[in-house]
Amino acid sequence: MSTVQVEVQSLSKNFFDQSRGEVKAVQEVNFECRGSEIFGLLGANGAGKTTTLRMISTVLQPTAGTARVLGHDVVSDPVEVRRNLGFYSASTALYPRLTARETLTLFARVNKYPAERTRSRVEEMIERFGLGDYAGARIEKLSSGMKQKVSIARTVVHDPPVLIFDEPTVGLDVLNALDLQKAIQELREDGKAILFSTHIMSEAERLCDRIAIIDKGRIRACDDLEGLRAATSQHYLEDIFVHYVTGNDTTA
Amino acid sequence: MNRRTVTALVINDLRQLARNPRVLVFAVALPLVLWPLMWFLTSLTTERRQERIESRTYRYAVADPDAGAAEAADARMWLERAMAVIGDDGRADNAEPTDGPAVRFERVEAPDDVAAALDEERLHVHVAWEAGGEDLPGEEVDRETVGNAGRSAPRIVLSYRADLDASDSAEGFLRRALERTRTELREQRLAAAGFASAPADLLPLQRIETASEEQTSGLLLGRLLTAIIVMMMLAGGSIVATDALAGEKERGTLETLLTTAASRVEIVTAKNLSILAVAFATSVLNIVNIVVWMQLDLIAAPAGLKLAIPVGAGLLLLLLYVPAAVLLSSSLLLVSGRSKTYKEAQLLFAPVMLVAMAVAAIPVLPGVELRSAIVLLPIANLGVAAREILTGDYDWPLLAAAWAVTGGAAALLARASLRTLSAEKLITASELDAADLAGGPALFPRRVARWFAVLWALLLVWQLNIGGGIDSRLLISINMALFGAAAWLMISRYRLPVRETLSLRVPPPGAWLGVLIGAPAGLVLADGIVRLASLAMPIPEAWIEAMAENMGAGLPLWQMLIFFSLMPALFEEIAFRGVLLHGLKNRLTTVQLVLVAGIAFGFFHVDLFRIPPTSLLGVFLVVTVVRSGSIFPAMAWHGLHNALALGSARVEQIALPEQPIWWHYVLAALAILLAFRLMKRRTRAAFS
Repeated sequence: MSTVQVEVQSLSKNFFDQSRGEVKAVQEVNFECRGSEIFGLLGANGAGKTTTLRMISTVLQPTAGTARVLGHDVVSDPVEVRRNLGFYSASTALYPRLTARETLTLFARVNKYPAERTRSRVEEMIERFGLGDYAGARIEKLSSGMKQKVSIARTVVHDPPVLIFDEPTVGLDVLNALDLQKAIQELREDGKAILFSTHIMSEAERLCDRIAIIDKGRIRACDDLEGLRAATSQHYLEDIFVHYVTGNDTTA
Repeated sequence: MNRRTVTALVINDLRQLARNPRVLVFAVALPLVLWPLMWFLTSLTTERRQERIESRTYRYAVADPDAGAAEAADARMWLERAMAVIGDDGRADNAEPTDGPAVRFERVEAPDDVAAALDEERLHVHVAWEAGGEDLPGEEVDRETVGNAGRSAPRIVLSYRADLDASDSAEGFLRRALERTRTELREQRLAAAGFASAPADLLPLQRIETASEEQTSGLLLGRLLTAIIVMMMLAGGSIVATDALAGEKERGTLETLLTTAASRVEIVTAKNLSILAVAFATSVLNIVNIVVWMQLDLIAAPAGLKLAIPVGAGLLLLLLYVPAAVLLSSSLLLVSGRSKTYKEAQLLFAPVMLVAMAVAAIPVLPGVELRSAIVLLPIANLGVAAREILTGDYDWPLLAAAWAVTGGAAALLARASLRTLSAEKLITASELDAADLAGGPALFPRRVARWFAVLWALLLVWQLNIGGGIDSRLLISINMALFGAAAWLMISRYRLPVRETLSLRVPPPGAWLGVLIGAPAGLVLADGIVRLASLAMPIPEAWIEAMAENMGAGLPLWQMLIFFSLMPALFEEIAFRGVLLHGLKNRLTTVQLVLVAGIAFGFFHVDLFRIPPTSLLGVFLVVTVVRSGSIFPAMAWHGLHNALALGSARVEQIALPEQPIWWHYVLAALAILLAFRLMKRRTRAAFS
């Protein structure tokens, strides 16, 4: 069995808001993710998925608890964490005036990928994601499908062992979403540990090896699909989700 | 810091800029053409306007209601003479006659309605006269020569429209000609009355300027240089700064960047370098551009200005402006980081530019020298330093101090801009934390530095503009009121517990003995610090005399003790060892606290030469509060210190020796250590 790449223990995050006061966005979250595994965080909007993933990627500071990526603590060793991490979300945009090739080179460099291998790695990514004809075109000129491919390529260009996909298919059409899912599955085959958040049940069902159902900042259940089915006596993930989030049995 | 990462980020920023044609055209290329073009057009327009003014014919009318009166004859004579010389000195006051076009005045019939005639420009200036005063007592004069002038001088009244160019110019020409005629008539009358020599020979005046041409030109350039450089740097830097964080935030690329292995320091360094590179490049482009226009004689340099700077001075100026450039780029980056959108950043740049320009314009003010409190004001100090360098005055210790002060401010701002990359504020809707939400005492430690910075700025402005010119008692009263009011405001605004904030506790009994030993010893060490500092910054005699004056010479003893000892001991202790210390104590280690709070106290004595000894006093007083857990011994120390300082200044017998005696200082240092040992509190309940 692969080793644990991401380890999250009692992770919590509180925000402070003038009108709402103290908001507990994430509370006591625990899980781990291994290599060649897609670990899904399934939850409604505002459940705490993005906040959890942003803490793991060191963008947000945890209020309490710990998270480690390849043994590096997100608070005390953030640069090493990010070096071993690729983060993709609908909100992580690209520089519009760079070409695809320049984008990949930039992200290989800032992620400290070895200088002597950067050029070959960039060409490898261009070939792998089918960007050859567009590698010299500026991002602003590309179609949304091509932009998405460049985004994935820049996420993995420095060959990180851990990848985070935060609701990556939001705003994509069906074909682009399927392409993305296929790419994620291929990355699993490469041995990557993948954290994948979504609120789309079919996506989680199709992609994830294990699923954590998150609601109001807490993980309500965490198991593979079979385990969840057995625990709830429900077949469909949608029903399993409702079962944990509302406590209601939706079967007639 | 990884150089490869920083380089990659800088190249990325510059590439983004280079590929944005609109920014390049509107922010870089257009100003290159527009700046000199505006300059050229302004001088062209001024020249044309002057020609038009001098070549046109002005219409005037004379009201002569009582033509037979003696005054009327005088007035007519005066006016006629003025009209005869009006073409000669029409260009400017006291100007020599020129070969330029003569000013022509055409008399027209006096209108019934003067205001309407002026409004419709049928008339440009209207002349009338009124009867003057009584006959002047005097000897017989030759009336054929001087007419009736002086005996009952008429008053000539000129009516015109200041808002109409022609009317305004006509009045100017006529008034100057009348004034010149008046002077001539006065001289003639003096001569006729028997005045022996020509009035102009009475007090002959000769001016000899000893400044070299380079010094005169250097002064002019020095006054303008900093303001020009700051303006160009800000204009150029803002092109990148807007996009640097605010633009990236708006586009969503900042979050992408923050999830890479680039550290926050690398990102901020790269952004600062990008801003500096573009600011530098655009400044050089603009300067070269203006010089080229001047070489082509399309625009003229200001009179007396030579652009030649000696190489040594040029290199020194370049070194001097480095911290100023970093300070400006960091402030732009800070604004960009704090803005949520591109537009907000652009909006916030305006006040930054205004403040920076106001500070950079300080060298223009007459009488501002580097060897003054101005050395503490970032950018302004470098501006004054640049002016002094260009006039050949190299005050090395103060140049170093100015460089260090602006460099320190630049470092602080760079650190602040680093903090804007704190992800919470960048990518979450909520910018608050627990302290913001709780407010009150929890928020105060984060706000205390801001309060004292404002207080310091107020004090600096007050001291620089008004402070020196008023009674020392009033000055101290206002300063103390400022400290007291600020302390009260902070305590009430943040609902601070008064007893804990001001350390109102009973001190250990040994503290009082510590004060009795420590205060005189502290004064001896302060003397040592002054002597040490004067090696780098010799204290001018005038300053020592002014200090003696300010120390209340001539005041009764009881007043001296109230104003110079009791009031500072109360109000300054409440503000600095009370409120400031309370705000900082949980954010700094004990050593940091002692140094920061102590030296801050010194800086509030905005007089340059008082900063070292008062910083030392501040350090001693902070240690006193930290050791004893109470503000009362610090108040007693402060009061005693000031009373002894007054005594040493006024009573010759206890004055300090002319030459320093080293073992005095060793003994004083040992006494201070003993004093602090005696102050140690016995319980843990005190200063924590």
